[in-house]
Amino acid sequence: MESLFNEAFIGLSLASILLMVALGLAIIYGTMGVINLAHGQFVMLGAYGAWLLQTTFGLSLLVAIPVVFVVVALIGLGIERTIVHRLYRRPLDTILATWGIGIVIEQLVRAGFGSDSRYVARPAFLEDGFLFLGAYVSSYRLFIILFSLAMLAATWYLLFRTEFGTKLRAVIQNTEISRCYGISAKRVYALTFAYGAGLAAVAGALVTPLVSVTPTMGTSFVVDAFLVVIVGGVGSVLGSAASALMIGEASAWLSFLSSETTGRILILLGVIVLIRFRPQGLFPDTVRR
Amino acid sequence: MLEARELYSYYGKSPILQDVDFRVEEGGFLGIVGRNGVGKTTLLRTIMGLTDRARGVMSFAGADLLGLSTPRRAAAGIAYIPQGREIIPRFTVRENLIMGTFPRRDGARRIPEHIFELFPILAEFINRRGGDLSGGQQQQLAIGRALAMEPRVLLLDEPTEGIQPNIVQQLEDVMRRLNRELGLTIVLVEQNTRFIRQAADAFVLLDKGRVALRGRGDELTSEVVDRYLAI
Repeated sequence: MESLFNEAFIGLSLASILLMVALGLAIIYGTMGVINLAHGQFVMLGAYGAWLLQTTFGLSLLVAIPVVFVVVALIGLGIERTIVHRLYRRPLDTILATWGIGIVIEQLVRAGFGSDSRYVARPAFLEDGFLFLGAYVSSYRLFIILFSLAMLAATWYLLFRTEFGTKLRAVIQNTEISRCYGISAKRVYALTFAYGAGLAAVAGALVTPLVSVTPTMGTSFVVDAFLVVIVGGVGSVLGSAASALMIGEASAWLSFLSSETTGRILILLGVIVLIRFRPQGLFPDTVRR
Repeated sequence: MLEARELYSYYGKSPILQDVDFRVEEGGFLGIVGRNGVGKTTLLRTIMGLTDRARGVMSFAGADLLGLSTPRRAAAGIAYIPQGREIIPRFTVRENLIMGTFPRRDGARRIPEHIFELFPILAEFINRRGGDLSGGQQQQLAIGRALAMEPRVLLLDEPTEGIQPNIVQQLEDVMRRLNRELGLTIVLVEQNTRFIRQAADAFVLLDKGRVALRGRGDELTSEVVDRYLAI
């Protein structure tokens, strides 16, 4: 019983990280139709940012989170303004271009910091855990869950309660008429890309105390995040949240019940079967136009 | 106020408009007529900067227009009501109207009261989604959205197409009132020559992307219509 609860809890924390990565991907895809294959590298940059701030300046992870959000968002902004925005009418080319950008980022990090695994300490006050219903609850994992929920709420607020969100949703639904009503689609696109990159970086920083930081760490996150977006249904924030929960939990349970590898295989099989029968995902954003 | 000379406009390499001249004075009402596919919609889209490329001279209130991006043209006070209305279906009526205030230079986000006097239905359905309104209601919303920016000129593309007759009457009255009482400049693309004849000061008749005929509104007689517009 305790171990069941343990796995459910670990699954929840995995789901929270996934959710933040997937949200960024989903917003960027939903707005610009760009499949951002460099997204995993934004996660990795966030992780390295947290490591760098901790080892060189002795800054706590909690301080690093807002810093990496801003810095990686600015990097995302730079990439959008220099490369990605030229390719909006060519979706296939954006896949290739963002893939290339990802490789460049990864190699730059490797050149700068080497390929060794790096570790980041969790904040001291989140070092321990406590027993709940006989199961061990890590304070840090609990923090991850609460933090991602807060980011989900913030993203929802940004999209549905701010003027930027209104402009973003207008551009998603009808770019041309939005421009006719004074909305600079260019600006909306750039800021959206930056926000998605920033979210990925926060996820990367948050996960550092749980996994080792390496230049290639982004890939596994981005694969799972794509699964989340596909299963959830493109364009739906709540769909992404629900499917992140499902995939995070499934990962935790299946690797507990069998092995990590078998777990991955089963999840991929499950997703393949699902999209065979429900290609639009579980929670597609449907509204008549 | 809004003026074009030797205007050419392109989609890809094809020139859709060729050597077009027109002029509307402040408070004027210009009707654009012509058969289907002669470039009437393209003319309005060129004013908004939505075609691939345009050359020639086009100015608004004395300032060059061709060099401005679409959002800046809106900010200059040009409101566009496209064919098919193109309100945002997932936005509520209120959100659609607020969207109309985005080009305002003073940054105000208040929906002007007179919009609800012109179209009481918008006040009643303020929290409904745009996509759930009927065609006629959507057209009222589209005009309301345009008025929310307190524009200096309204560009309308066949606003009465596919709308039930009682609403058509109301829309025509609104256009006349906006022009006569509020002094709003109007450029109207319309198949319905009767309304142009009654309401417009001047008309431009397009054929194959060129101006084939122009004149005062009341000169758009049935002989002209038979000669240039009969199929």
